[in-house]
Amino acid sequence: MAGTTPAWRHWIGEFLGLLIGLAALITVFGLTTDHFLSGTHLRTIANQIPSAVLVATGMTCVLILGQIDLSVGSVLGFAGAMLGVAMTRWHLPLPLAVALALAVGAICGAFNGLVSMRWRLPTFIVTLGMLEMARGAAHAVTGSQTQYIGSAVGRLADASILGFSLPFLVALVVVVATHILMVKTVFGRYTVAIGTNEEAARLSGIDPRGVKLSVFIGTGVLSALAAVIDTSRFQAANPNAGLGLELNAIAAAVIGGTSLMGGRGSVLRTFLGVVIIAVLNSGLAAIGAKDEIKRLITGAVIIAAVIVDVYRQRGVRRPA
Amino acid sequence: MTSRSSTSASFPALLAALLTLILAGCGPSDAPSPPGATEAAKASSKPRVALIMKSLANEFFLTMENGARAHQKAHAADYELLANGIKDELDVARQIDMVEQMIAQKVDAIVIAPADSKALVAACAKAQAAGMVVVNIDNKFDQAVLDEKKVRIPFVGPDNRRGARKVGDHLAKQLKPGDAVAIIDGAPNAFNAVQRQLGFADAMAAAGMKVVTAQSGYWETDKANQVAAAMITEHPQLKALLCANDSMALGAVAALRAAGKQGQVLVVGYDNIGAVQSLLKEGRILATADQHADQIAVFGIEYALDLLKSGVAPADKETPVELVTAPAPTR
Amino acid sequence: MSPAPAPSHPAPVVRLRGVGKTYATRVLDGIDLDLFPGEVHALVGENGAGKSTLCRILSGLTPATDGGMELNGQPYRPRSKRDGEGAGVHMVMQELNLIGTLSVAENIFLDHLPHRAGWIDFPKLYQRATEVLDRIGMRDLDPRTTVDQLGVGPQQMVEIAASLWRQCRILILDEPTAALTEPEVKQLFEQIRNLRAAGVAILYISHRLEEIRQIADRISILRDGRLVGTQPAASLTLDEIVRRMVGRELGAESFAEGRTAGAVALSVRHLRRGHQVRDVSFDAHRGEILGFAGLMGSGRTETMRAIFGADQPDAGDVFLHGNSQPSRFRSPREAVQSGLALLNEDRKAQGLFLSLGIRENLTINALHRLSGFGGWLRRSDETSVVRSWIDKLAVRCHSPDQGIVELSGGNQQKVIVARWLFRDCDILIFDEPTRGVDIGARFEIYHLLADLAAQGKAVIVVSSDLLELMSLCDRIAVMSAGRLAATFRRGEWTQDKIMAAALSEHLAPTRATAASA
Repeated sequence: MAGTTPAWRHWIGEFLGLLIGLAALITVFGLTTDHFLSGTHLRTIANQIPSAVLVATGMTCVLILGQIDLSVGSVLGFAGAMLGVAMTRWHLPLPLAVALALAVGAICGAFNGLVSMRWRLPTFIVTLGMLEMARGAAHAVTGSQTQYIGSAVGRLADASILGFSLPFLVALVVVVATHILMVKTVFGRYTVAIGTNEEAARLSGIDPRGVKLSVFIGTGVLSALAAVIDTSRFQAANPNAGLGLELNAIAAAVIGGTSLMGGRGSVLRTFLGVVIIAVLNSGLAAIGAKDEIKRLITGAVIIAAVIVDVYRQRGVRRPA
Repeated sequence: MTSRSSTSASFPALLAALLTLILAGCGPSDAPSPPGATEAAKASSKPRVALIMKSLANEFFLTMENGARAHQKAHAADYELLANGIKDELDVARQIDMVEQMIAQKVDAIVIAPADSKALVAACAKAQAAGMVVVNIDNKFDQAVLDEKKVRIPFVGPDNRRGARKVGDHLAKQLKPGDAVAIIDGAPNAFNAVQRQLGFADAMAAAGMKVVTAQSGYWETDKANQVAAAMITEHPQLKALLCANDSMALGAVAALRAAGKQGQVLVVGYDNIGAVQSLLKEGRILATADQHADQIAVFGIEYALDLLKSGVAPADKETPVELVTAPAPTR
Repeated sequence: MSPAPAPSHPAPVVRLRGVGKTYATRVLDGIDLDLFPGEVHALVGENGAGKSTLCRILSGLTPATDGGMELNGQPYRPRSKRDGEGAGVHMVMQELNLIGTLSVAENIFLDHLPHRAGWIDFPKLYQRATEVLDRIGMRDLDPRTTVDQLGVGPQQMVEIAASLWRQCRILILDEPTAALTEPEVKQLFEQIRNLRAAGVAILYISHRLEEIRQIADRISILRDGRLVGTQPAASLTLDEIVRRMVGRELGAESFAEGRTAGAVALSVRHLRRGHQVRDVSFDAHRGEILGFAGLMGSGRTETMRAIFGADQPDAGDVFLHGNSQPSRFRSPREAVQSGLALLNEDRKAQGLFLSLGIRENLTINALHRLSGFGGWLRRSDETSVVRSWIDKLAVRCHSPDQGIVELSGGNQQKVIVARWLFRDCDILIFDEPTRGVDIGARFEIYHLLADLAAQGKAVIVVSSDLLELMSLCDRIAVMSAGRLAATFRRGEWTQDKIMAAALSEHLAPTRATAASA
């Protein structure tokens, strides 16, 4: 019976495959390169992933809801551009500029949600439109020029606690909080239910609109937060930032076993998906692999991960 | 009744307006003129020059186009300008479509910065065959393909290899022979990326530096950042990072900052974009190259206008590349 | 156990010996079964008894774990449904398998579309489809109609038509009449008899034992994955079948004893929605069960959906508990908050969260009772609630977190019933509550509904099973072509009267045309 199954067995079933894969990658790169296993390198990876983690977290929630958000990368670009322009041209103080960037993310997300619900459009289409609009807006506000901000914004990324950068800790907190939201609360249960069968949810007396809108706004805000982090890391806002990020985020979610059909996915596993991709990229760069080889391997790893997930699904029944 | 008929009449009108807008976006952005107007323009004997750019999302090309537009405003009596760019730097097919559209529009001259140095040759040969003057700017057409097609298309633009060599030579002065350096390339299928890599490599070889690794950062800050971070941990002895453009140099600088290696590893870039100015001042980027983007297209246009007037057999023309360095290198 | 000989043909067309199947548990064990050409062989048993698994093995959808099959004396091991169809074994599944956006004709001939060099030959397609539909008495159905536009009943007939046109030696029909109306059932049976005369062996699965007695030559009874016996239909009484299916006696009960109707809980006045709901008015009282009878497409489901806010009515009012102010529900959410519950006709599409567990399916609309500050779920409370409902409704499962998809249709239905009971609504609308539910579970649900009414709740039951309504309800409202044609009290009704009312709008053409104009 469910109550008697130790929780750790459930957890192992959930994460074992991903952790083995990650361990295998780290081992391979550790053996083939000189400095991969050094503390600095691992810290470097930890420093690189926060924005990808945030965007993939939002994407996972959208996918669990049975929707998709193709605009995350462009919204990141747009929010970053606003942050850059706010600081360089309008000389707003950092907190105000960050708030503005987050508001931009929220507005883009709200637009995605409201337009798709009002006219019953597939979110694939609406967010595809937003992908273009937000990118266009990013170029419009910056005049297509990278905005160099300097250390005024850099101090966010430079702050660190216990050797971890502030962005990394923020990303961790967001992942854990989102996971708890999805697993332990009514909101999360509704999200899963709507993603599984929206009509059944509606007829059970749930209003899917509020949930949908919240998830899209949340995703927009997370993209904007990722923009703040990226801008801070580079001390510059590039209107092309986040190009193609939506596909990376989907890849990370899928590696983590998220279903594109909705109703199934885990933010924690997506996090591992992001880490796997980051380790892979970093390791291949450390080896000095040729670009075409990098792409071949990355693609193959995505597919392999999904195949492994199929077996995980079969192997791990619900705790019985 | 009347209101109803007016709505039904306005709908097609709206649709038409929308279509025009879309066509305007695809076609010449200046004058979405009806077919009749083409003839009228022809008759006015003011030559029409089409400028076909690469990605306008890229600051460099936007500067180029803005320079051209400014030039046209100053010389409005001399020619008409139809400027167009593609959305994605790698969208070769879209650029070919654009050339064909210009052929259909019967422009007098095409000035093109090809997204691909081979794939665009055929379309431009077609334009030449149709009696148009074609001038190649920025990214030089592949000589082998030109020879095979038996066409000559004059090139006006900077020598990227020479520019990169200048940047590299300047960097080498700050290093000792035998120092380890790494190169972050642009998109591997771009001619100028290859040229810049060759230029960097030439300079490093000449000064006796060791290039320990060269990888592509796809012209992007984020990708270059990842590559640079891996390079500096894997090769702790690195003394310099040579980046094929300034956006990537920004990523490299961020990687150094994150690894706490600021000041220990030198960074050079290319293009001299606005965002690196203060980094140059602070010495965090050692040097970059200015190709005078705003002038490249202008040179091409002037060259095309000259050709239209004189009809003299075309020859290549090199535009200047200038080394830009930190005012006072802090080492 | 000795199989009774088939009417005329001595050699079985299919012979099963020791067929068994193990998924996580043993679901089918040691089945010996012979099918003879030209017989209608009924397979009965409670849900979960293994009927569907047996059919899936026979049709090639699932391989058997052990045992062997022979087809015309040759070993028969289909690896796929296509394989089975190649050998002449066709199955019409309980869950419809049609493509909603294509036409009836395209669905019937989907894998054999007549074409010329890749271009579909539509005239030929429609002509052949008309012939096939004609054979099953559906000559009124335009083969160009999109399947989505049809009700469940006609869709089922299309599905049957799709297998009938092929040369088939064995036809497996899984609950073919679950969604059919009386006249449609008659047509189907006529067609089955034609096929039988043509030498086709028909394996017929149904919960409707009366039908089985009408159509079957022999009956095989399954219980808990084992074959209890195979006997000529004529030698079995209904009681005997039921007793052998459930392994215990079930009395023929009436579920309408000892209740008194209370105050009006729900008043519907002049409700309209499109062509399907035309000026419907009725009252439902506390402490009674109000039945809704009618033909397929008579607007019963649409009426309930409009009351519930699932679809917006064009006009009309809904009054709750004698309020003088009408309640207008703009969404099901508002209806549920006002104490209404709607149990849908189409479980899979509109009721279940198929990839989730019993837990999530059961508690979804009452999570506010199981959560604290910030929507934090109290999981242990939830577990005990789910367990208690599993016990109360005798849901057959091994854990509250078992996937709902692993349960039989009847047990799935129980979980949904539990969902609404736990939500504690006081006006409960059940649309086909026992569709696809086995006899044992069905009686338990009847008891439940009767209990609810006895507790003072207003219960509305929409059903196509007249006997079900007649044993359950205090009053039966009959709809015909979108109108409420008549309402009968217990004791006033007869099957004939109800059928006459259900057909009334169709027999009064002047009125119908006037309404549609």
